[in-house]
Amino acid sequence: MKSTKAEVVVVGAGPGGYTAAFYAADKGKRVILVEQDKRLGGVCLNYGCIPSKALLHATKLIREAEEAKIRGISYGKPQINLAKLKSWKDSIVERLSKGLNSLGDKRRVEILYGRGHFEDSQTLRVETPEGQKFIQYEKAVIAVGSKPAVPKAFDLGNKRIMTSTEALELEEASKDLLIVGGGYIGLELGTVYATLGSNVVLVEAMDSLLPGVDPDLVQHVKRHAESYFREVRLKTKVLEMATAGNQIKVTLEFEGKEQVGYYDQVLVAVGRVPNCQDLGLENTRVRTDDRGFIQVNDKQQTSDPAIFAIGDVTGGELLAHRASKQARIAIDVMTGEPSTSANIVVPAVVFTDPEVAWCGLSEAQAASMGIEVEVVKFPWSASGRALTLDRADGLTKLIVEPQTDRILGVGITGYGAGELISEGVLAIELGATAKDLAETIHPHPTLSETLMECSHLYYGQATHISPTKVTE
Amino acid sequence: MDVKVPSLAENINSGTIVKIFVAEGDPVQKDQDIVELETEKAVAAIPSPVDGKVTKLHVKEGDEVQVGQVLLSLSEVAAKEEAAKEEKREDAGNLEGEKKPEEIRAEPSSADREEKQTAGLEEKDEEPQAEEGSNVDAAKAGHGPPASPSVRKLALQLGIDLARVRGSERGGRITLDDVRVYIDQLQKIALERTAKIPKGATKTLDFARWGYIHKQPMASLRKKISEAMVISWTSVPHVTQFHEADISSPMKFIERYAAQYEKNDARLTLTSLVMKTLVPILKKYPTFNCSLDEVTKEIILKDYFHFGVAVDTEQGLIVPVIRDVDKKKLLQVSKELGELAEKARQRRVSLEELQGGTFTISNQGGIGGGYFTPIIHTPEVAILGLGRAEVKPVVRSGKIEEAMLLPLCLSYDHRIIDGANAARFVRDLAEELGNLKEDEVKLEAEEIAQNKEGSEKRSRQDRKTKQ
Repeated sequence: MKSTKAEVVVVGAGPGGYTAAFYAADKGKRVILVEQDKRLGGVCLNYGCIPSKALLHATKLIREAEEAKIRGISYGKPQINLAKLKSWKDSIVERLSKGLNSLGDKRRVEILYGRGHFEDSQTLRVETPEGQKFIQYEKAVIAVGSKPAVPKAFDLGNKRIMTSTEALELEEASKDLLIVGGGYIGLELGTVYATLGSNVVLVEAMDSLLPGVDPDLVQHVKRHAESYFREVRLKTKVLEMATAGNQIKVTLEFEGKEQVGYYDQVLVAVGRVPNCQDLGLENTRVRTDDRGFIQVNDKQQTSDPAIFAIGDVTGGELLAHRASKQARIAIDVMTGEPSTSANIVVPAVVFTDPEVAWCGLSEAQAASMGIEVEVVKFPWSASGRALTLDRADGLTKLIVEPQTDRILGVGITGYGAGELISEGVLAIELGATAKDLAETIHPHPTLSETLMECSHLYYGQATHISPTKVTE
Repeated sequence: MDVKVPSLAENINSGTIVKIFVAEGDPVQKDQDIVELETEKAVAAIPSPVDGKVTKLHVKEGDEVQVGQVLLSLSEVAAKEEAAKEEKREDAGNLEGEKKPEEIRAEPSSADREEKQTAGLEEKDEEPQAEEGSNVDAAKAGHGPPASPSVRKLALQLGIDLARVRGSERGGRITLDDVRVYIDQLQKIALERTAKIPKGATKTLDFARWGYIHKQPMASLRKKISEAMVISWTSVPHVTQFHEADISSPMKFIERYAAQYEKNDARLTLTSLVMKTLVPILKKYPTFNCSLDEVTKEIILKDYFHFGVAVDTEQGLIVPVIRDVDKKKLLQVSKELGELAEKARQRRVSLEELQGGTFTISNQGGIGGGYFTPIIHTPEVAILGLGRAEVKPVVRSGKIEEAMLLPLCLSYDHRIIDGANAARFVRDLAEELGNLKEDEVKLEAEEIAQNKEGSEKRSRQDRKTKQ
């Protein structure tokens, strides 16, 4: 049995895995990158962030054209060629994925397509189309990511029941679509399908959309969802699904009462589970928690000295950029450079309409941990730029440590919040105070001013907000 | 596995091996004492962390050892258990929340500690403690000391704990320059420490030229006392206030009730009586029960009353602390005082029992001393010395009367306390002592019962722990 030798083997080529592979190669390591899919990029690039954002962008035009009517600008009814839209989306994915191959080649990273399986703490078996290959590695990075969770009761083997992966394939925009789960996936894809003509009903078991996010950041999202979707039902559980001819029969429960509905398609978006099955972890000393996520320390080390793990498979917030940061931490630690994930600031963006973005400490976290904070909020109805965009439905807030004025958290909801949040991330990473933000000029008229105005508000002196105290 | 000298206590970084209880090849059980270590102030036994067998001794009796130094090597028993433990240890090394012994001992660095004691240096030593609350919160919430990622990375590489670095910018933000200043300070201190030895030891004189001499090494306790005294004497402006208290009536009470206390396993002494009397006076003048934070320029007033008592031992002065004197009855205080003094004489006081004092009492009366000027036990700000009480003639309303007079010597830190308040303090203390009520000394039946119950419970517990 012949085996290949590698200094570093990375299992999984998503944003965490390819970053780890490229960075390790940049640091002079001989790297093999193993991917079970036919393309590099992982869920994010192929079945997640990228295709969903392409579709959200394409359909935004339809929503905006509709809204333009009240400004005296009208268009005809949009003609939608679903196949063309799909191939445009696929071309973006294709281009990015090809780009990764070329970036890997230039770094002499060997890419091996096939499922990886740990034989022991130093050996990975890869089932490639050309047969089994064995890699003798010094260090391994597990970056196999996560996949949509589908409760057993929903898994009827019926193509009309989709996860985000199938929904993004955009085979058809059926008439009646039920979305199970009011998290970001359900909301984002619901928006796409609703714009393409589906009647969307969204159900969520909890009492709010985007559970866990500060309620004041969710309120505008809820209002929009209610206008785009036929219905948004909170505190509603799915009891049963069954095939009924060309439809799916769904039994729902709300406040103890059962309700039956028929839908052409159902999108299940109730969370994600780690891809740890059949990875051969039992042949290593890697430990998983009770939900199957791999346990790591702040250096991304597992309990097996030869194996690191990064990204979704380690649990926590399942975010691509977090995986990429962890990739760098893992490779730094592996190559003897001190690094830690302690105290890093991980921003989160939800591409709903309007977008929601936050970083650092949230108001809810501060309350549950008993950390004393002062929260200042600037409503976008006071922003000139927001009004010119006809998007007063926004809010910017700062979570500040009162003794030092240090900015601990930033939350934004509104048009383009995802692009605005980075200033907040930088502020927190740099240990900036509200004063630092207040003293920094922000260009007018832009939405970024809301961050500056918010910090002025902290000192009770925001120009565009009525003063709290009036001097006689 | 190697058994290392554990982190002993703040300020304590080394000790001397007094006794080794095991020999190579001996089996040991978890928690069995393996060596006895004498530190500056106490003798402490070090227990074995696991069941096993001693494979090698790395030290011998009389050796001076540092925290973290390997004492002996153990082979763990039973292959199965060994594997299980091995895995556990791996975890400790790998997974967050748990620390390796090396990391634990790395924390209270002696260099940092001593920095504070070097006068004139802007040191942040106490600050991490002062800020502890907020830092813990910060750690929980995922935000450490405020510093940019590049500065944090550098600190990580240099092994510098940013929580100890003073940030000069808004909100205490730490810049690269702040780290530089901190490193400079560390270097300066390191240099001073190496330079200290020749500086402190003036030229060695050959005293033998003038006659026969005997030499003996300075015991670690003596060294510690010497250092502490120099620090207090050179960094704190001392003033000593003298006064006399008429203790004729309290002495009568002591005579009257000594036997009653004796029956309850306690010795009623003037020291314990004065300790109880001090509580209301310290509550009235709280600055005598405070400490000064020289970094933040804050006066830290303490709502607790833990009194140190100077105990004369063969090896030298030891000051064990009796906690919460305000909450304890005189009987309890007397009892604890006797027990702690005895423990101190046997050098069995634990390090915890030497820490956390808010005020100190030094009674030389028993030896027969008169007035003296006690040195403040820093970071406390005052100390009360008691001399020998004597019967003296006093003039009251034109008549000469006999009175038992107790010399009071109150040394205080003039940075915090002014002379007027010191005078008021001793005046009120003398008055309070003179007017002491019999009820406060006399034991009630209820109290006696409680005490009995308590001591029975304790002795039961003692038996248990012995088993």
